[in-house]
Amino acid sequence: MTAAPVGIEALNVYPGVARISVEEIFAGRGLDPGRLTNLMMTEKSVGLPCEDPVTNAVNAGYPLVSALSPADRGCIELLVTSTESGVDFSKSVASYVHEYLGLSRRCRMVEVKQACYGATAALQLAAGYLASGAFSGGKVLIIATDVSLVDHESGYTEPAMGFGAAAVLLSTCPRVLTLDLGAVGMYSYETMDSARPAPTFDVAEADRSLFTYLDCLENSFRGYADRVDGADFGQTFDYLAFHTPFAGLVRAAHRKMMRDHAKGAAVEADFERRVGPALRYPSRIGNLCSGSVYSSLASLIDHADVDGGARVGLYSYGSGCASEFFSGVVDADSRQALRGMRISERLDHRVPLRFEEYTEVLGTSLSCLVPERDRTVDSEPYLPLYARAGGRQDLLLWTGTKDYHRTYEWITPTGGTDDS
Amino acid sequence: MTVDEVLEVVRASAAKVLDVDASVLTLDGTLSDLGANSVDRADIVTQSMLELDVKVPVRALKGVSNVRSLVGVLHSHLT
Repeated sequence: MTAAPVGIEALNVYPGVARISVEEIFAGRGLDPGRLTNLMMTEKSVGLPCEDPVTNAVNAGYPLVSALSPADRGCIELLVTSTESGVDFSKSVASYVHEYLGLSRRCRMVEVKQACYGATAALQLAAGYLASGAFSGGKVLIIATDVSLVDHESGYTEPAMGFGAAAVLLSTCPRVLTLDLGAVGMYSYETMDSARPAPTFDVAEADRSLFTYLDCLENSFRGYADRVDGADFGQTFDYLAFHTPFAGLVRAAHRKMMRDHAKGAAVEADFERRVGPALRYPSRIGNLCSGSVYSSLASLIDHADVDGGARVGLYSYGSGCASEFFSGVVDADSRQALRGMRISERLDHRVPLRFEEYTEVLGTSLSCLVPERDRTVDSEPYLPLYARAGGRQDLLLWTGTKDYHRTYEWITPTGGTDDS
Repeated sequence: MTVDEVLEVVRASAAKVLDVDASVLTLDGTLSDLGANSVDRADIVTQSMLELDVKVPVRALKGVSNVRSLVGVLHSHLT
């Protein structure tokens, strides 16, 4: 019996509506410009006060869901949100997302958390669910959504942290990426490299995190190689898409793996060819937490020559720490399927902020995870900014809380709002 | 394995990662002296552990500030 293929049917990245150049943050914060090169980033997405983990998730998932026929939409029988930006200890982000995406009441929903690895854990569990064959025609929607809590106290982490979400629709009709089922390697252990102990701040020990990222890459790949006969880091994968805290770390990670597993190879040329295409979006969005590896995958498909079919090695890492090396296959259909999401175009359409505008929105958006019984978030001051961002889809805005219940409204491309 | 032999492994790892002559590295020096940035330092430590076939818990690396303390931690975890 040949098992049905399982993988990503559709993929989208929501990169927010605003951005700032990394150079501008370095200048504004007085950071050492010599370290810009290590970061290998040009700009990052910036969240607005009327955006939160729910709006990010819905805005990433909406184009995928609205492209489905009503019958196919009804086939989504599992919704998973992956986030380290929960809005309640009990009520999941998924419950709001389920409502605003209009999903079936016959759909399971749940939220998962394992720092930047959460979405991949969900993807692999869902892949097993779909591969079982017990749920014919079923689809699973996984949305990795986060908000970053960085400010002037975050040092060099501030320019690297992005904003947005990635939505992945999994099924047995994988147009975007066909998973190599069972071809996985995991490596996890407890460590305190970074964490979010409260809704207002992160703690991070950068050196420890860099070390665990590299340690986990080496060891998760070894786990992969133990399961996959003949797996070779230098030869097996036509392209590589990694979790990208900042592109400079991915460059070092690739250098390390080539040194250990592909002695004598031309490292720099290999990096440009196999890794470069996956870094284009992350270098413009910043770290999307558990959505990061999927923004890398989208970047790869949009920028690499995949038409003849290509195997991609993927590395997902989450602080704390858990990691996985896995793989899949992409082809011309992947490019076709992703094109409709117009990710590159939407990155261009984000409104560039000056440093003063950036610090102003930062001040008000850092509290979006703090529970408050009643709160009004006035989106009015930001509507001109939405109007300046061209080519928009309908977007969900956060309007506040009423008796702890979060409230939202839709904004249409013409600038009008629609209370929901 | 002696401390000097562990130092040799760290030198060799630094040379591999940075593609420089690391023979000038002494116990009193730092990896930054060779031009290593934070990512390079993490790479050199991981590489040294691999060469020594030793697993050092990440928390044990807290407080490592120069080559002497790095070599000390690696050496103390050798079986």
